[in-house]
Parts: sequence; structure tokens; C-alpha cells
Amino acid sequence: MTRNTRILMQCIYWAFVLYLLIPLALMMLMGFKDSKFIGFPIRDVTLDWYLAVFQDSQVLNAMGYSAIIGVLSTAIALFMGTWIAVALTGRSFWGRAILLGLTLLPAVIPGVISAIAFRIAARLVGLEPGMWAIIWSHAIHNVPFVVLVVMARLSTLPKSYGEAAQDLGADPIITFFRVTLPYLTPAMIGGGIFCLLLSFDDFVRSFFLGGYEPTLPVLIFAKLRSGMSPEINAISTVVLVLTAVLGLWAERSMRGMKKRAAND
Amino acid sequence: MTDAKDPIVRIEGVTKSFGSFTALHEMNLNIASGEFVTFLGPSGCGKSTTLRILGGFEKPDTGRVILNGQDVTALPPNKRNVNMVFQDYALFPNMTVRRNIAFGLELKGMGQQAIKARIDELASFLELTAYLDRRPDQLSGGQRQRVALARALAPDPALLLLDEPLGALDAKLRAQVQVELKAIQRRTNKTFFFVTHDQEEALTMSDRIVVMNKGRIEQDGTPEELYFQPASRFVAEFIGETNLLSGRALPGDQGAAGFDWQGHQLRAAATVGKTAPAQGAVTASLRPERIQVQRDRPTTENAVQGQVVNRLFKGHRMLLDVAVGDTVVQAYTDTDRGRDLADGPVWLGWNASSLTLLAD
Amino acid sequence: MTLSNTRPASGPADRPGFWGRLSGSGPYAALTDVLLASPRRQFAILLIVPVIWVLLTHLGPILQMINVSLLTNYPPGPNNVPTYTLEHYGKFFTDSIFIQPFLRTLIFSSVLTLTTLIIIYPVAYFLARHVRRDRQMMFLMLLLIPFWVGEIVRIFAMMILLGNNGALNLALQWLGLTERPIPFMYTGFSLSAGIIYLTALYMLMPLYSALEKIPPSLFEAAADLGAGPWTRFRRITLPLSLEGVSSGCTLVFLISTGVYATPVLLGGPSTTLFSEVIAGFFHVAGDQWPVGAAFAVIMLVTALLLTGAFTKLMAHLAGRVKQ
Repeated sequence: MTRNTRILMQCIYWAFVLYLLIPLALMMLMGFKDSKFIGFPIRDVTLDWYLAVFQDSQVLNAMGYSAIIGVLSTAIALFMGTWIAVALTGRSFWGRAILLGLTLLPAVIPGVISAIAFRIAARLVGLEPGMWAIIWSHAIHNVPFVVLVVMARLSTLPKSYGEAAQDLGADPIITFFRVTLPYLTPAMIGGGIFCLLLSFDDFVRSFFLGGYEPTLPVLIFAKLRSGMSPEINAISTVVLVLTAVLGLWAERSMRGMKKRAAND
Repeated sequence: MTDAKDPIVRIEGVTKSFGSFTALHEMNLNIASGEFVTFLGPSGCGKSTTLRILGGFEKPDTGRVILNGQDVTALPPNKRNVNMVFQDYALFPNMTVRRNIAFGLELKGMGQQAIKARIDELASFLELTAYLDRRPDQLSGGQRQRVALARALAPDPALLLLDEPLGALDAKLRAQVQVELKAIQRRTNKTFFFVTHDQEEALTMSDRIVVMNKGRIEQDGTPEELYFQPASRFVAEFIGETNLLSGRALPGDQGAAGFDWQGHQLRAAATVGKTAPAQGAVTASLRPERIQVQRDRPTTENAVQGQVVNRLFKGHRMLLDVAVGDTVVQAYTDTDRGRDLADGPVWLGWNASSLTLLAD
Repeated sequence: MTLSNTRPASGPADRPGFWGRLSGSGPYAALTDVLLASPRRQFAILLIVPVIWVLLTHLGPILQMINVSLLTNYPPGPNNVPTYTLEHYGKFFTDSIFIQPFLRTLIFSSVLTLTTLIIIYPVAYFLARHVRRDRQMMFLMLLLIPFWVGEIVRIFAMMILLGNNGALNLALQWLGLTERPIPFMYTGFSLSAGIIYLTALYMLMPLYSALEKIPPSLFEAAADLGAGPWTRFRRITLPLSLEGVSSGCTLVFLISTGVYATPVLLGGPSTTLFSEVIAGFFHVAGDQWPVGAAFAVIMLVTALLLTGAFTKLMAHLAGRVKQ
């Protein structure tokens, strides 16, 4: 590549970074504005909107509700995703490709369609819209991500580890819990946090499968439809900080795993 | 050796195929208690398959494996009293050295104090006491190898399998570990089943070597037998350096075989192992270090004349290429004499016992 | 040397640890006798749970959606037993109210996918080839952080940027480029900006990992053989990154066809997308579900067919270039 195209690409990169970060930065700034109206210029600065977030029981409830949904759906997704990854790794059998395809299916169904398919299915099994319907749909949607992360990790597990455990008297169950599972832990932490983020951020499934109680994104959506206010900025900023911290943690966990795999 | 009185392992008619590839053909073998047996051969010869069948990781297609008088052919690895040192050691990375060694002991249902005592004992024996609380990634290659050995010895197996455990070590360390490993085997009096493709390693450590080729046992004997009386061309070529001479077998006399090579009527050792044909075209093996090279005719049973065409300096000795007719024979000589023999005709001499007629 | 004995513990003086007690316990032995009797049984037990889960929860909802789309009415009432019909599918083809947003969604998604590809390719290339290895993670992280924030928060941020009193209009007015605020919001522009904001990561990651895998020695070898920058790009970079292009475009297209909150909040009446039409049938009590389901099936089948054909085409292209 010539020097000019390299500079051009560098410019595109930074322009893209600005495109991604400026809206979020403005959103955070606006949360400090001492006025009810969203928009520039910001004349006076206040912390009231942020303080209000932590006193608004509706917001706090939604946050807790989203957190419970996130944790439970992540637990289910981790359990099933790990099980599927283990079943799919290390041997070839008839129908493996089909099983893998079906496993990844929820990840490629467009959002609205997956949401209404779950809505219809929830009705079929008599699951009322509400917390369990949302948990169930989030878990299913997140399973493919867990499977991909865990399978990638599992493919680096030397076959001899499991054989050594069996050689020393461990049956396949004990081998799994004492050798395989500890080896998968970093991938499961990374994948789990990723699931937590996906669940915490999800709007479309929570919206169609939710009952009376809103999750945090559904609450923000409702507030947005009834008009913008700096309060939403403050809530969103809190969400942004929470998710960025979780995301960085997940990234660190996965990166440490790659480094260790390289050392092994 | 094959008819050991007290076989701890009996392999009876074991065949194993992977798809269209036959890894083992009808193998029969007995291993005596306390023996250090090495399976030697190039990759794909079936030595690792034999090891994995003994460990329980592969099931033979036909035949039986008898361990201590019990048929274990169908038993999974966790139900066999056999332990293995893996090629990559397979130390559990999430456990300390102590936990690694304890792994097999815990699953035997031993009490925690008894386990601790046993680990301390093994650790002092294998000089691991200082490393018990480290993790495998904090150890050197040699230390890992000893941990793998300690872990496999800990549950007191009837048979210890070692799958090329020295392959990951550098040359200097490997030589040292070979000596240690042999000493450990003597002191514990365990039966070691060692697999390697390195002939030098096999010669150094083993009581008995089984040379494998293409799924069959090529030769089974002590290191000396294999080296000096190779049963086949394959063994002669695989173990050590040798000259292969193509000639014709002649009727022998007085406990020696006859061999016609380039018109020379030579005396060769009476054949052992697989019988070489008594008549017709045959190959003979002659080790370079068994040949005397000198200016005047030697007094050995066989002597031929040749011309030095090349010299290779190897420090304390020298390898000479001597042209005899249209063949080049390699011979070792000490360095000083090699210098004197730079050019001109030389005599090569050797005794009948050094020339072995081979089956193909 | 004689080593001490390795017999199992006898008596309470020296208890085995957890794993020893577990493997020695009667119930566990009985359980493993049943579960682990043979490798075949182990495998069957390992496989049965994933198969049931995948069939019931991954495939089941889609099948039930197809089923409902073929029913005259749903849910079934006491004196309104549903029968199978194709009328809901017919409804789609006979009414331009539906076809228009449908076509708009397809065109919109395709154009956006292409746009995203054009914007992101240089970004991914820059990251993979011009940033030092040890700094790539940091540069990538700058792009990743915004994507961890949910759809709604990102849309909201976009609204602040593009609103009539938004930062962009303010900047344009301050620069004197415009007198009155330009109405960015509720147009195709705001919708596009929002969707790209949402999907760019799914283009970036496959492209980045495809480009990162190309060994730099290839470029050096090509340059050594006299290939200019353009030739190197056309003959090496592009063919070897086709796989990334293929999966990136597929993901972005599929996501674009399924966004809901973004068109609701950032779009206007002239930009109604098919996802909004489908969702409309599910806001009401339930008697409209079969129509919505039928429309969802149409959307799903079309999207999967298009992306499937696209993937095949790219695989074909990649295969041809390799030869």
C-alpha cells in the first residue's frame, strides 16, 4: 500500500471512532445539563439527574429485574451451551453438522422474527409474558455464543489431559469435573459475561415477551417515546458504565485464556 | 526372553486396524515382571498402538490382553492397574504438583494422611520435594517429566507405560534422564513398557528391545543381540550404522556361513532369528567399528583390499570411506591411524562373527 | 526401594478426600454403572440432552410460528376451531401496503450492508495490517466499547446527535453552513446512521479476523515478484478476505432485516420497515397472530434464501480465485 492510502485508511478509522464515540460522549454530557430540555447549548451543569437515577424506584426496580433476568438466563445458557459444545467436540457422528447448524440457528434469526417466534411458542407451552418468558428467550438466544466460545477453547484442550485422568482411575464424569471443566473456566467466564451483556442490553425479546414489569431497555424505550429528558441520559450513562466494565472484564478473561493457550 | 516364566502381561493374537490401515498384525508377546521393555520402530510401526491397547485407550479388533492373569481386553483405562507417562506429560495445569500426584491416589479411595505420606515418599525419591506446591507451568522440562513419572508411579501400577517421554527434552538432559530412568526402574522393580523411535535411547536403557515394523515384530531380544545379530535388514539399518553388502550365500562350514561378495569368499556368522536363505542372493551387515583398517594384510578371518576415497573427522575417531570394487565400505578407525591411511591401498579385515547374513 | 502401601483407607482414622469418597460411594457406583456402561451409552446420554434442547427450543418456536401462520385463527376458541389455510400468505401478495415496506426493507438492508462493507473494510484493513500487534487490542477496544452498550442506549445517543437541537445541527449552524436546523431525524438518513451504528461490529469482526490471518510474508513475496499495490490488493488481500466479507455481510443483512426499536425511534412514516409491520400484528390481542406469523415466515425465508445464495456465490468466487 502506498503512503497515501495508508493515511486515508487511518483517517477513516479515526472518523469511524469519532462516529461511534461522539454520540455516547454527548449523551453522557447531556446528563449534566441543568435544564429539562435536551439539546445544546449546555448553560448550567448539575448532578441532579444522576442523583435522581439512584432515587427513582422505577429505574432501580428495572435495573434489578434486568439483572435477575441476565443472571438466570446466563446460567441456563452456560449450562446448555457447555453441554452442547462438549457433545459436539472431539468426535464425528452422523448428523453432527445438522446439530451444529440447529445450535447456531437462534443467532442468525432476525431479531423481530425471533422475538415473535418465542412469543408464539411461549403461548403454546402456556408461559405467560413476564420474567420467565424473557429468561427463557434470552437463554435460547445466547446458547450459540456460549457454544462457539466453549468449542474454541475445547479444541485447544490436549486429548492427553482427559486420557491421563482416566488412566489414573477417573471415570468420564469425574474426568469432566476435575480436568475438562477447570480448563473451560476462562472461556465460560468470558462467554458468560458476554451473555450477561446481551441479556442486559436486549430490547426486542424483552419487549415482546415482557409482562407488566419493564426491563431497563424497555423502560428507557418507554421513556423515550414519551419525550426526551436528561434523566434518560443519566440512566443511559449508568448503563454504559456498567456494560463497559463488564465488557472489559470479559475481554480480559478471554485474552488471558488466549495467552495461556499460547504458553501451554 | 519371550518365554518368560512369570509374565505380568500377555498379548495374545492382537490385531488392530484403523480403517484400511492395519496397525497391528496378530501380535503375540509376553512381558516378565520387573522387565524394562522398549518398543522401538519408526512412526506408524504399531508401537504406540500397542501401548494404547495396553493402557485401554484402544480396543483390539481381535485377541486378548492378560494383565496379572486377568483378561483386561474390555476394561476402560480407569479400571486397569496400569499407568502411563504421556508424551506431553499431560500434567493438569489447574493443579499443583502435589494435587497432580494425589489424583490417582484419591480415586483409589486412600485416606488423606496416607496420600500425603505417599506423596512425600515419592517426592523425596524423585527429588521433587521443593516443587510440590508449584504449578506445572512453573517447572522445567526435566522437572515436569519427573512429576509425570511420580504421578504415574503413585498408584502402584502393575505396569508402567512410557510414551516417548524424553522427546521434549534437549539432547544433554535426555542423556542424563536416560540414566536416571533406568535407575528408577531398577530401584522400584516396576515393569516398564517404553516406546520410542530413538535407537540410542532404546539401547541405553532396555533389558529387552522389541523392534516393530509395519505392524509386526521384527526382532525381540537384548540390546546386544539386536546390535550384533540383527535378524533382518530392517533391524540392521534401523539400529546403529552399518554396511550392507549384497552378495550370494554359500554353503558354510565349521559353524560359520559362507558369503560370496565381489568374488571374495568370506566367512559369516551362523544366522540367528529369522533364517537367511542358504543359497542365492543375500544381504550381509557389517558394522563399521568391527572392521580393522591397516596397510598390511590383517590376520582376521576375512580380509579384502580397497582404496580410501574419503575421510570424515569425528573427533576421537575417523570414518573412512573405502572403495572395494564398485562398493564403498565405511569403517571406523582411531584418528591417528586414519591420518596415516590418507591415500593408497588399504586392507580391511574382520572376523566371521561380525558379518551377519540377513533375511529381507 | 519399597514404597508404602496404597491400599484404600480402612477405618475412620484417615478419611479419603471428596473425590475418593464420591468414587467409593455405593450410590455413585450404581449411577455410573448405569450411565457409563459402555462408550456407546455414554455418548447417547451426552447427546440426548443437546438434541432435545435444540429441537424443542431452537427449532420448535420456528416450526410453531410456521404452524400458526397456516391457521385460520389463533389462539383457538371454543366455537372457533382453526383449520389450515394459505390466505395470510395471499394477503401479503395482494396488498401493496405490505409489499412496499417489505421491498423497502430488502433494498434498505442491502444498501446498508454494502455501505457498511465499504466503510468498515478500510478500518479492518488498517487495524489488521498497519497497527502494531501489541497495540491492535487497544485500537480494537475503542471500537468495541460502544457495541457493548445496548441497542436502545445507542439509538438514544444517535437521537441526541441528530436532533433539531442536536450536536450536528448546532455544529453546522455555528460553521454557517446552514441557517435553520436540517431535519435529520425520522428520515432514511437517521435510520441508516442508527442501523450502521448497530451492525458495524458484526462486519468488523469477521473482516478483521480474516485480514489478520493473512501472513505478511505473502505481501512481501508478491512485492518481490513485482506486484504493485493495486495488484497485491486484488490478487492477495481481496481473495483471502472473501470469507470475512461473506460472513460479515450475512450477519449485517440479517440483523438489518430484524431491527425493530431503531426504525420505531429513528425512522418516520416514509421509512416504515417490514419488521414494524410484522410487530404491528402482535400488539393487538392475538387474533392477528396468524397474519403476523405468515409475514414473519416470508421475511425469514427471503432473508435466509438471499444470504444463503450470497454465501454460495462468495464461496464460489473464493474457490475460483484460489485456482
